[in-house]
Amino acid sequence: MISPVLTSVADQLRAVVGDDNVLAAHSDLVVYECDGFVIEKNCPDVVVFPRHTADVAAIVRVCNAAGVSFLPRGAGTSLAGGCLPVGGGVMIVLTRMKRIVEINLRDRYAVVEPGVVNIWLTNALKGTGYHYAPDPSSQGACTIGGNVATNSGGPHTLKYGVTVNHTLGVEAVMADGTIARLGGPTEDSAGLDLVGTLVGSEGTLAIVTKIWVRLTKNPAGVRTMLGVFDSAEDATNSISAIIGAGIIPAALEMMDQGILEAVEAAFHFGFPLDAQAILLIEVDGLEAGLDRQRDEIMRLCLENGAREIRQARDSQERLLLWKSRKQAFGAVGRLSPSYCTQDGVVPRTKLPYILKRIAEIGAKHQIRIVNVFHAGDGNLHPILLFDERNKAQVAQVLAASGEILDECIACGGSVTGEHGIGVEKISFMRKLFNENDLAAMARLRDAFNPEGRLSPAKMLPVAGACGLEQIHPGRHAAM
Amino acid sequence: MTAVVDSLPLTDSVAPADQAALAAAVAGAHASGTPVYPIGGGTSLDFGLPAVRPGIGIATTSLNRIIDYPARDMTITVESGITLAELASTLAAEHQWLPIDVPQPAIATLGGLVATAWSGPRRYGYGTPRDYVIGISAVDGRGMPFKAGGRVVKNVAGYDFCKLLTGSFGTLGIISQLTLKIRPLPQASAFLLADLPDAATAERLLAAIVSSGTTPVAVELLAGPIWRENARLGLLTAGETLRLAIGLEGAADEVPWMVNQLEDEWRSLGVTAARAIHDEAARTLWRDLTEFSHAPDAALVVKASVLPSRVTEFVELVRGIDVTASVQAHAGNGIVIARFGKFEPGDVSRALIGRLQPAAALAGGHAVVLSSTLGGLTRQAVWGGVEDSAKWMGKIKTQFDPAGILNPGRFVY
Repeated sequence: MISPVLTSVADQLRAVVGDDNVLAAHSDLVVYECDGFVIEKNCPDVVVFPRHTADVAAIVRVCNAAGVSFLPRGAGTSLAGGCLPVGGGVMIVLTRMKRIVEINLRDRYAVVEPGVVNIWLTNALKGTGYHYAPDPSSQGACTIGGNVATNSGGPHTLKYGVTVNHTLGVEAVMADGTIARLGGPTEDSAGLDLVGTLVGSEGTLAIVTKIWVRLTKNPAGVRTMLGVFDSAEDATNSISAIIGAGIIPAALEMMDQGILEAVEAAFHFGFPLDAQAILLIEVDGLEAGLDRQRDEIMRLCLENGAREIRQARDSQERLLLWKSRKQAFGAVGRLSPSYCTQDGVVPRTKLPYILKRIAEIGAKHQIRIVNVFHAGDGNLHPILLFDERNKAQVAQVLAASGEILDECIACGGSVTGEHGIGVEKISFMRKLFNENDLAAMARLRDAFNPEGRLSPAKMLPVAGACGLEQIHPGRHAAM
Repeated sequence: MTAVVDSLPLTDSVAPADQAALAAAVAGAHASGTPVYPIGGGTSLDFGLPAVRPGIGIATTSLNRIIDYPARDMTITVESGITLAELASTLAAEHQWLPIDVPQPAIATLGGLVATAWSGPRRYGYGTPRDYVIGISAVDGRGMPFKAGGRVVKNVAGYDFCKLLTGSFGTLGIISQLTLKIRPLPQASAFLLADLPDAATAERLLAAIVSSGTTPVAVELLAGPIWRENARLGLLTAGETLRLAIGLEGAADEVPWMVNQLEDEWRSLGVTAARAIHDEAARTLWRDLTEFSHAPDAALVVKASVLPSRVTEFVELVRGIDVTASVQAHAGNGIVIARFGKFEPGDVSRALIGRLQPAAALAGGHAVVLSSTLGGLTRQAVWGGVEDSAKWMGKIKTQFDPAGILNPGRFVY
């Protein structure tokens, strides 16, 4: 039942954006009860769809006047519960702010509204010789506003960097309902780097309503290779050797034997099913250097024990190879009824060790774990297979997940490379950071969001309380 | 050097040997409300408003250890007082580098580079300090040590203080330790050079770089007496006013290919007298391009940020104000650095605030003062006008340095 305060808020929001842009019926709100992190669910009390920055500012002022919490949402593809409306409140869904405002090739930037889907921008740039570099695997659905909130990566992070490296400026509605323009199409704005500070803040500091992004020149050429290995260690040693030789591939992805079975059944690429690991390696850039880099990579892989390494025969085979990689998560359904993906990071040279530990942790908890991940930057996505109807198995999966992430921290790594803390990983913040670090983070949040009304209960643990307790793991996909 | 440090109103100075000693020094200053001036190599102390309140200098020179260098992970963790020359030689032993150009590398420190967010010509190809800092430790204005980020190249856990502190001029915290993402050293480096008759020709060539088949790492447009005669550029021919230097780096087979390709592209645009320099000659020119901004004796050095397409007209404006000014533009990024030969104090409000800053604003950006021998510059003159972001910067400052003791009165607040 909606309270009188919220009924009044909904009425005021209708006055701001019109009846068509406000949802308050339970049957409509259920759609917004979670994002890609499906373990915790809670309906917002009201969903509102602004069309302009001024709408967002007015909505925030209505919420502040009523003392109601609010949070932004894009396409809801995030995997850590960043869009979960903890405690209800008003959800500001930005998907109707979806204009590409400007494309300026001479000055190499574009201006977009937050609801623009990532791939739309690159599609709009076709034929210009430029593209927008951050390419999360969900780029067909996720929004650039959401990418800014989570500082999204993708397979090409290794060479081209993540969202923050491509964000020049933002216009934002602040938690007090004022509008601020931070940065813009020119570089080096005077004063603090507020743009860099807002990117990746998971919607807890401000609501971004316009984004200036840097455009990247398309590479002239590309070489894609497939390496087949009899041990995961040989594969990870090859990765270290390639990077150690001063080659930075555009992408360097790994699939282990467990996932190959599912991928082969789904896409019939012709992967050898007895291989322990497959590397997908892509170099791009000037044609002048590509064949040499390809030959060097092949030599290094063979030196490190590759059974076979070869270049994709043609563009058709290259596309099938990438399809097998990008849709690997979809194929996991062939292996088990439920699965849970993690997002740990370790220094690249610790990959052989962590993969061995993941296998041991799986054996200890009797959980099958398969791996497909961004090997080049040490960003793991172990997939834990289970049946969610089996309560004992669910508990084992949670225990194994926690142990894997603890092991990543022990290796000098992190518990999230690209998915975010959201609500899912709040309990790990105390393991990564001490009280002083968390106090400094709380101070930053207080500078922007002193009432805590914007995206409450996210990212930072509350003093003296534990993070949300997980009851069962999700079926969420990874990137 | 010493003269610049002497310009700070220091009553005392300390050089803590570790982060705990640094924290204790700041905590003591916080307790007594004494201003603190962080000092790295002392090469950028004239950047920002002059210090007025007497206080203690905290030097990071004893915080200069290499903590961890796992070369195959391509990261390094070091204390903030390490000089850029020492960092560079450590990395070079593993054929790696931090590809950011810094003047006076023998004395300039990494902490100072990050605190000022400085960068030079190579920013076009490699980015700026914010793209390389992946972990940071600092001491805030209460004397409380804190950190963020980590030692892995990909990490989104918690707020990104690496970005917040980069370019914060020591006003939110004194940086004690940094973890950097680093890169392999390029095998070859060269420049393709051309002298141009006018701004219109320059803009035509700059626009063509955007769609060039090459991938330059620096796009430098140069004008004025210092560049008219340069040992590596040669003497400027009569009738030509602007010089263009395109930096090309990469593998040994890529660089000669790019030089030829760009020469071909320029020929089709009517440039017939392009010339290339390589190796040692190229290294000398990189040094000249890196050191240009460091001119403590110049009357006024201004850095403007404008849209890349507006660079040539901004360069012309500078030369219109002072024909003896020398100008270096990182034209691909829209950064214009102007060294004025003579600048009268009376011209500050007329030429700087009245013409340069509004022109930069019209061209989409703003202008700040890098250094000046003129006394009495106001905040408006040094940092430009107040924007809507100022309110939020002030709120952050209050949270991290409630007593206002860290580098007071020198930055935007």
